[in-house]
Amino acid sequence: MTVQLQAAGRRFDWGQPFVYFLVLLLCAVAIGPVLYVFIGGFRTTADINAAPGGWPDPWVLDNWVAVLSAPRFWGSLLGSVILAVATTAGVVILGIMAAYPLARYTFRGRQGLYTVFAAGLMFPLTVAALPLTLLLRTLGLHGSYLGVIIPSIAFALPTTIIILVPFLRAIPGELEEAASLDGASRLGFFWRILLPLSRPGLVTVGVLAFVGSWNGYLLPLLVISTGTLPQEFWPLPLGLTQFSTQYSQNTGAVLAYTSLAMIPALAFFLIAEKRIVGGLTGAVKG
Amino acid sequence: MTSSATVGPAVSAGPTPARRRTRSSARKRVEIAIFTGPALIVFIGFVILPVAFAVVYSFFNLPAGFRWEHLADPDRFIGFDNYLRALTTPEFLKAIGNNFIIVGLSLVIQGPLAILIALLLNRKLRGRSVYRLLIFVPYVLAEVVAGLAWKLLLPPNGGVNALLESVGLGAFTANWLADPSIALWTLFAILTWKYIGFAILLILAGLQGVPEELSEAAAIDGASWWRIQWHITLPLLGPTIRIWAFLSMIGALQLFDMVWVTVSPSVRGIATETMATYMIQQGQFAGQPGYGSAIAVILFVISLTVALLYQRFALRRDLQGAITDRGN
Amino acid sequence: MHSSRKNSRRAGVRLAAGAAIAAGALVLAGCAGGGGGGTATDAPAAEQVTITWWHNATSGPLPAVWQEIAEEFEAAHPGVTVEQTGYQNEDLQRTLIPNALAAGDPPDLFQVWPGGEIRDQVANGYLMQLDDLIPDTIASVGGSIAPWQVGGKTYGVPFTFGIEGFWYNTELFEQAGITSTPTTLDQLNDAVAKLRAAGITPIAVGAGDKWPAAHWWYQFALHNCSIEALQEGAADFVFDDPCWVQAGVDLQDFIATNPFQDGFLGTPAQQGAGSSAGLVANGQAAMELMGHWNAGVMGGLTPDETVPAFLGWFPFPAIPGSAGDPTATLGGGDGFGCSATAPPECAELLAFIMSPENQKKFAASGSGIPTVAAAVGSLEDPNLKLVAEGLANSSYVQLWLDTEFGTTVGNAMNDGIINLISGSGTPEDIVKRMQDAAATL
Repeated sequence: MTVQLQAAGRRFDWGQPFVYFLVLLLCAVAIGPVLYVFIGGFRTTADINAAPGGWPDPWVLDNWVAVLSAPRFWGSLLGSVILAVATTAGVVILGIMAAYPLARYTFRGRQGLYTVFAAGLMFPLTVAALPLTLLLRTLGLHGSYLGVIIPSIAFALPTTIIILVPFLRAIPGELEEAASLDGASRLGFFWRILLPLSRPGLVTVGVLAFVGSWNGYLLPLLVISTGTLPQEFWPLPLGLTQFSTQYSQNTGAVLAYTSLAMIPALAFFLIAEKRIVGGLTGAVKG
Repeated sequence: MTSSATVGPAVSAGPTPARRRTRSSARKRVEIAIFTGPALIVFIGFVILPVAFAVVYSFFNLPAGFRWEHLADPDRFIGFDNYLRALTTPEFLKAIGNNFIIVGLSLVIQGPLAILIALLLNRKLRGRSVYRLLIFVPYVLAEVVAGLAWKLLLPPNGGVNALLESVGLGAFTANWLADPSIALWTLFAILTWKYIGFAILLILAGLQGVPEELSEAAAIDGASWWRIQWHITLPLLGPTIRIWAFLSMIGALQLFDMVWVTVSPSVRGIATETMATYMIQQGQFAGQPGYGSAIAVILFVISLTVALLYQRFALRRDLQGAITDRGN
Repeated sequence: MHSSRKNSRRAGVRLAAGAAIAAGALVLAGCAGGGGGGTATDAPAAEQVTITWWHNATSGPLPAVWQEIAEEFEAAHPGVTVEQTGYQNEDLQRTLIPNALAAGDPPDLFQVWPGGEIRDQVANGYLMQLDDLIPDTIASVGGSIAPWQVGGKTYGVPFTFGIEGFWYNTELFEQAGITSTPTTLDQLNDAVAKLRAAGITPIAVGAGDKWPAAHWWYQFALHNCSIEALQEGAADFVFDDPCWVQAGVDLQDFIATNPFQDGFLGTPAQQGAGSSAGLVANGQAAMELMGHWNAGVMGGLTPDETVPAFLGWFPFPAIPGSAGDPTATLGGGDGFGCSATAPPECAELLAFIMSPENQKKFAASGSGIPTVAAAVGSLEDPNLKLVAEGLANSSYVQLWLDTEFGTTVGNAMNDGIINLISGSGTPEDIVKRMQDAAATL
């Protein structure tokens, strides 16, 4: 047995270096543009204009200093964090609450309810943008963070529910039976058993919601930039365009700003990465 | 998470839990209401309602600076004229075509590519999780950022052409974003770069459900790696691939952000217009909110039709007992 | 069950954190949402008035000028706060202002574009009529007030107005052996040929953004159409005159001489050194047809961030034998107006902005040509002086045609022109698109 397994292993070794080469190539292509942006932050604009595809010559730190010392950057960072955390919390809480009955209760209209949420996938935000802004003004939410958070949650719910429902379904009925035999209510089951078991799924939808909110541009543009919130607290993507035209001649600073703006989203994803694979596993396994 | 009952078609509900009619249905209904209530209210209020308004707007001829009062003006009500206009405008029809081209390209190119990469990344490699991470990075980037980066890399004297020249492929340099005849392909390449990480991750997740014992047994029997993938792994990946295809198609139909931020307006209008960019261009920038709303509704109808058809024919087996079951 | 208790506690902590964040957001929401737009409803007894001011200055020296003016106004008017914000031009014109007006919550003082847009806004009652409030200001800008008047009443005041012309590199012209700037179309074609022969890109055009390329067609239309035909088009959207088709024919002929840079369909107008302005600013193209703001834009695109010393200006050449008025020019400007719901202090602020002292500051900053005659003398840039001269010598200034015709017809027109330039449209198509678009209004 051992000999045969070893033989099988050796057969794989042949292609392994080739596989490494391919994979490394792919990684290079994937992060190449990101590295370009990052390294570009070390260049002066004149350098970039003269030779867009070249290495920094000279290497300068001015752009990073300029961005990091601009109060607008830190304010925007705070703004983005608040928006993203609030949106994520809302999406996760409302999502799991709605997904639970859809997945584990039986009632008339369950199918219809699920379809209502799933149909939301067919509406990109761009479709609803104008009526949405009118609605927000009517509700007095215009110009405020809530005016971005609530619609963001609303538009993230379809994906969230579609991911969570199969996840929750997969939890065997026997667990629920055992819990009820132990005297736990349905709510108790939800709180003590279901929630912890669905953590990978929750983390998955949480990360997707966080990244979506962090990168959101259209909604903040329509809601926040037209309100009375000072520009220091506009979220990062909006801050980027302000930087972009204010420094339209300073491409180096734009690249530095962009690099810094990317970091939190990447960090968050890094932390949650292991959970995501587990989360999608659950969704896919059913 | 138990694993014993989960080999087989994905996204199936599994056996329905034995009926527990020990609770009163009133209490059950209250629980359902409380649990789904908040999400439902937020969703209906901020998604359904605005979209319903958009549908209403689509039947009117509205000026750029329109107000609620215009909806009461009978002269402005034009019924389906906006829809007729859209469906007879060459630019919009071309945009629909572009969307479907991208759908097709995604299924034919991104799909197999993602599967191949996922299979590679599923092998025992050192630093495997690092590679998975790096390939997912483009997906995490904001569209604005990605567009900015590519706009700097793709001009004739930009980074991409410089790279091609430095490895001796100078003959392949081109004006990637400014040449209308290749702009759509350039766009598709950028889209692949940005979104393939998600596909790979999804398929990797699906691969976790393929038992190693099967591949190992086949290997012992003398099958090559490739034959194992082809005959064992891929068929078991079926449901995963079908789900990815679904999300990919819908995403391709609604494509907006990357096109808008990366391609210049002129080249976009000539070569890479999508339904969504056309909608924003007409509805917002040409000051025709009614017309734009009609286009939005058409976009929705097309997405919904594709989704329903796909669910019916491709996903039906996978979803048996899940969405389409009746007695539950 | 130990782990599940820990997990549920963790879940509980997460929920609590989420609630705390949400609460914090609510607080912020309350703080921010309270402001809103204009505050004409503030209690008069407290005399606390806030004026919101939206403009499109986000780069160069102009934002600082507006900021200074806002602060001085506040100092001179205790109890009045001026909140001015600069937005990217396209966002402001196409999204932010129309949405704000449609929602009934507009800023008080904002950028008003002449032509079709101001006519629409007046028809909807969005703008404050200014004739009785600031008559002296209106008089001080002379004839340039005309595009901001509707039905004889004034609804906005321009602070800058200028005409379009060629911004060119005097050194490259010398290099190619061009001894004098072209005054006729044939001479322009000659110059293009000489530049090509010298290996220099003759003309940079930011066709990526559509409108810079469209301006070429506007110029040909201007030179082919009589004033009456132009006015007919503007007022009634009647484009039957054959001059409109002739404009496209002339443009096609001109493009056949290969005057533009490679890949011009993807070149932006003003962003970065690869834009058409950047190409000229860095000596990679010899000239660009552009409005009076171009010197300022170019100044920002050079490595040392100054306006290039080699820069010169000449007006669009005449087309001998054409039906248009040879002394007519194409031009445009920017102006401000007050919303109908703004407090009366808004008109005062506008008058203050337009005062000679403040307009001199504007002129001195090199941001454009002032409309107030008294401030024209403060222009320092010699090229801007040339533009001002060209403006003064014009018998008739036609607004940029896409501005004149409004967004719907203008957008259709620009699309048709781009199709023509890229080879997939005909001169007749452009006119047909304009007519079709007008029919939907």
